[in-house]
Amino acid sequence: MWTPVALSRDVPPLVVLPVVAGGRELALWRSASGRIAAWADRCPHRGMRLSHGFVRGEALSCIYHGWSYGAAGNCLRIPAHPDLEPPETIRVAVHVAAEAGGLIWVAPSAPEAPPPDPGALQPLRSLTVEAGTAAVLSLAGLAGDTLARGHLAGVEVTVAVQPIGPARCALHVLTGAAGAAERIALSRELDALRRRAEAGEMAA
Amino acid sequence: MILYDYVLSPDCYKVRLLAALTGAKITLRAVDFHPGAEHRKPEFLKINPAGTIPVMEEDGLVLTDSSAILTYVAAKAGPEWLGDDDARMRARVAQWLAFAQRLSASIGKARTHDMLQKPADIDACRAGGIQCLREIEAALVEQDILGARFLAGDRPTLADIACFPHSMLAPDGGISVDAYPAIRLWTRRIRALPGFVEMPGIHRLHDLKPEPAKA
Repeated sequence: MWTPVALSRDVPPLVVLPVVAGGRELALWRSASGRIAAWADRCPHRGMRLSHGFVRGEALSCIYHGWSYGAAGNCLRIPAHPDLEPPETIRVAVHVAAEAGGLIWVAPSAPEAPPPDPGALQPLRSLTVEAGTAAVLSLAGLAGDTLARGHLAGVEVTVAVQPIGPARCALHVLTGAAGAAERIALSRELDALRRRAEAGEMAA
Repeated sequence: MILYDYVLSPDCYKVRLLAALTGAKITLRAVDFHPGAEHRKPEFLKINPAGTIPVMEEDGLVLTDSSAILTYVAAKAGPEWLGDDDARMRARVAQWLAFAQRLSASIGKARTHDMLQKPADIDACRAGGIQCLREIEAALVEQDILGARFLAGDRPTLADIACFPHSMLAPDGGISVDAYPAIRLWTRRIRALPGFVEMPGIHRLHDLKPEPAKA
């Protein structure tokens, strides 16, 4: 089961950030060469959040003691023991991350099907709403679940929905609208939608 | 220029940051804000009767507002930071300097409540802080649509310096910054500026530094 966690555009090389997918806290990061990865947000050494860490080249390093981890989640280097070859058993739990249509998707293990592709659209923005997924989508008049489609502010939108909790979700919004005025109006409409959803307004 | 300074204060850090970015020479005079409450002592009140920091003093001029101090440092050492390119940019800078007061009153208060046990209506401070962060995020999204990477235009100005510290330090006051992708990228751009300096809670971009050599 794929979960959308970010717009590709918002995670350029060398960025790491925390995301939630399927109830799990993950560190989402992109290497210098552009490889995207989603790992358990916990350093095997002392449990520090890896999303507080930093990316250098193709490795993610923990901010606490600098332990760094390579593409397979294997420990590459322990700065306090520079001559030690880190044992194979020191590994971060790795999830599957993939990109399609300007979105980053993650799954706990490789699903049979590739992630949904929304088609050729432009990313607009992601925003987190303190309300449940179903309430937000029905209030917005959007149809679908993981990829919901409809119209907002007079333009066609596709929204990849990331459930974060029973009363929290993130919307990753794509649109075919190219004009600056249309895109700004849509962004403002999304803020208005969030205000209405968080005020408890229900779809008519 | 003498800056009456406290290392953990975001409003003092703004001034240190701008001075570092512009090459302005400032002399720091540490104020024992906590636990000594030196800013409430008679000697300090002679300089600033309001008992607040930062304060900047130079040749009889005493400035007690962080936005005024930023304006003074920029005018002297880096006029491009004033953002005076055109009417719109100038007004945007003024607006974000005013907005920074709301950051201090929400995130700033939540932070001193959590870190220094100062009294505050913590729920109201956090709600106000989230509202401020959402406004910055929405503004950065619109700026990006218009092809500008910073709050007042396509280059950094006082607007960014005024709003950057509290946007980074919100977690100190129990306010998450995880949900703001535009803010994340904007703060990275500021942290990548040549001459950038740190404060506790705001570190440089380690990924821009080479790997330390093996011993």
